[in-house]
Amino acid sequence: MHTPTIAHRLPSFEGVCKHFPLKSTRGVVPLVSAKEQKRIPLHRIRSSRARVNYESSPFAFLLNAPALIVILVLVGYPIVYSAWVSLHKYSLKRPRVFDFVGLTNYLTILQSDEFWSALWITVVFTTLVVTLVSAIGLLIALLLNEEFPGSGLVRCLILLPWAIPPVVNGLMWQWIYDAKVGALNGLLVGLGLIGEYRGWLSNPTSALLALVWADVWNTVPLAVILLLAALQRIPAELYDAARVDGGGALQHFRYITLPWIAQPLLIVLILQTISAIRAFDIIYVLTAGGPGTATTTLSWKTYLTTFDNLDFGTGNAYAYTISLITFALALGYFRMLYRKGEFET
Amino acid sequence: MRAQSAKSERGLTSRWRTILLMSSGALVVLYVLAPFCWLVLTSFMHERDALTVPPQWIPTDMTFENYIALFNPTGMRAFVGSRAAEQILPSMVNSLVVAGATALINVVIGALAGYSLARIRFPGQASLLLLYVGSRMVPGIALIVPLYLTVKTYGLLDSRFALVSTYLTFTLPFSIWLLKNYFQSIPRDIEEAAFVDGCTWPQMLTRILVPVAAPGLIAAGMFAFMTAWSDYLFAVILTSTIVSKTLPVVVAGFATDVTTERTLMAASGVLAVIPPLVLAFMFQKLIVQGLSSGAVTG
Repeated sequence: MHTPTIAHRLPSFEGVCKHFPLKSTRGVVPLVSAKEQKRIPLHRIRSSRARVNYESSPFAFLLNAPALIVILVLVGYPIVYSAWVSLHKYSLKRPRVFDFVGLTNYLTILQSDEFWSALWITVVFTTLVVTLVSAIGLLIALLLNEEFPGSGLVRCLILLPWAIPPVVNGLMWQWIYDAKVGALNGLLVGLGLIGEYRGWLSNPTSALLALVWADVWNTVPLAVILLLAALQRIPAELYDAARVDGGGALQHFRYITLPWIAQPLLIVLILQTISAIRAFDIIYVLTAGGPGTATTTLSWKTYLTTFDNLDFGTGNAYAYTISLITFALALGYFRMLYRKGEFET
Repeated sequence: MRAQSAKSERGLTSRWRTILLMSSGALVVLYVLAPFCWLVLTSFMHERDALTVPPQWIPTDMTFENYIALFNPTGMRAFVGSRAAEQILPSMVNSLVVAGATALINVVIGALAGYSLARIRFPGQASLLLLYVGSRMVPGIALIVPLYLTVKTYGLLDSRFALVSTYLTFTLPFSIWLLKNYFQSIPRDIEEAAFVDGCTWPQMLTRILVPVAAPGLIAAGMFAFMTAWSDYLFAVILTSTIVSKTLPVVVAGFATDVTTERTLMAASGVLAVIPPLVLAFMFQKLIVQGLSSGAVTG
């Protein structure tokens, strides 16, 4: 039995099958010509019917084998290995030393100011990104849910930031923020909002905000797409009924729209949080964690510890800490999916 | 008389409504396009024009010399940043090969697993699905450290093979999820009908299932391609020379090198954007459906 998934509710997903008349088994165009069909002996048809075995576990595991091998070897093994290394003193500067030290690496990072500073910056960065992405994403989705001249074009163009690789995105914003010849300075001075050019990336506060904005620009489209899909599933009759009952646009939003999109919105929140925690490329290109440690998030700190200091023991401890935080968030995400019925197969 | 005025009043509010909606739409377009246009326009500028204060919003003297320099790095112009410029074309080939291979493997392995999860009932199905989706949630920065050590141990650093196989870690779970949802949207009847009509298993697969599932397969391949193409974290750590360096690594190398001409960098950035952008607009509908049905991207 199929439980309806989102795919079912999307009109064009069903339209996919339009090339095949699917009304009933009888209506299906024979894929083997009538002449061929006559040549097929009856017993073969019977035996081939037995091939439709939707209960066969060995067959299912056979189909899953390649994927399982990939996941276990390339995700499962590294996770276990990472945990193992994080319990050791191991640095590529002295590759011969591989001493078991228990939880020392974790205790070391928990006692270091660097960790708490990175954690704090991660929290600030994530909160700002998630808030802005959800707010801007929801506003754009609400706008695109309306029909107006040119709405199709806007719906199409909104994909653009999503398609841009984070490295190029970082590069682009680096020049926009540039202290000497940047577009932002040019624009603000041109409009008379600031008196002179500023180094947006050399001030700790503005650097963090600049980084947040660049990441928001890159990730808003995903939120728009998810929320727009949710908005389009709201039955129009609900609004018609509400119009009869009266009430303003705000009340309609509060009592009809919001309950319908509450869950997709939560999914957006969780996915955005996870993606903000792992933001790396953009930091690398745009700020490299600076100025000072103003934009050094946990991801960046992990990278620095591992590949700059070559301290793999501590680096893995950092990596594991991030994994645990993400894992907690992912649990919330699974519960959302589960409630939406996506996990019933 | 009263009815008429009420009607014209409504006409007026709906006109204002349209104007309001359109101007908000224009604002969104500006928000989306302005930063990107700045990048594209810079790539068509002469270096001296890109360094003016206030900036030239529209280049007065358009030129293709940056692109020519990237495609012909031994030419006269590319004195500054010519070493990096030489790497653009080979790295583009690397990116295409790696992303293409990742996409292909994703489609095949993802379709097998996705089909089984959509069609067959078997014990442990839910846990398997949980394992797949869960593995997508592991942050890349946590995986890359042990993967780097493993790849190093087997002497596979700086190889396309290492890139493709590590890219599977974050593309495959999404492909499986997407294809599972897609196969579920295809009625099972058509498969049974094919068997009734005397199709064998391979015939059913090639004549029915693949054509019907083609949009889902294309979507999965495309997402995998775009994710692999855009990746920087894995590429910068696992590659070191032009044997396997991908385009984002070279472009980022430009960005962190202060001596490189910025117009040249802009051109390289535009080149790195073109393939995903073309795919995004070509398969716009598939992307929107894929993203909203398989909301597990991070």
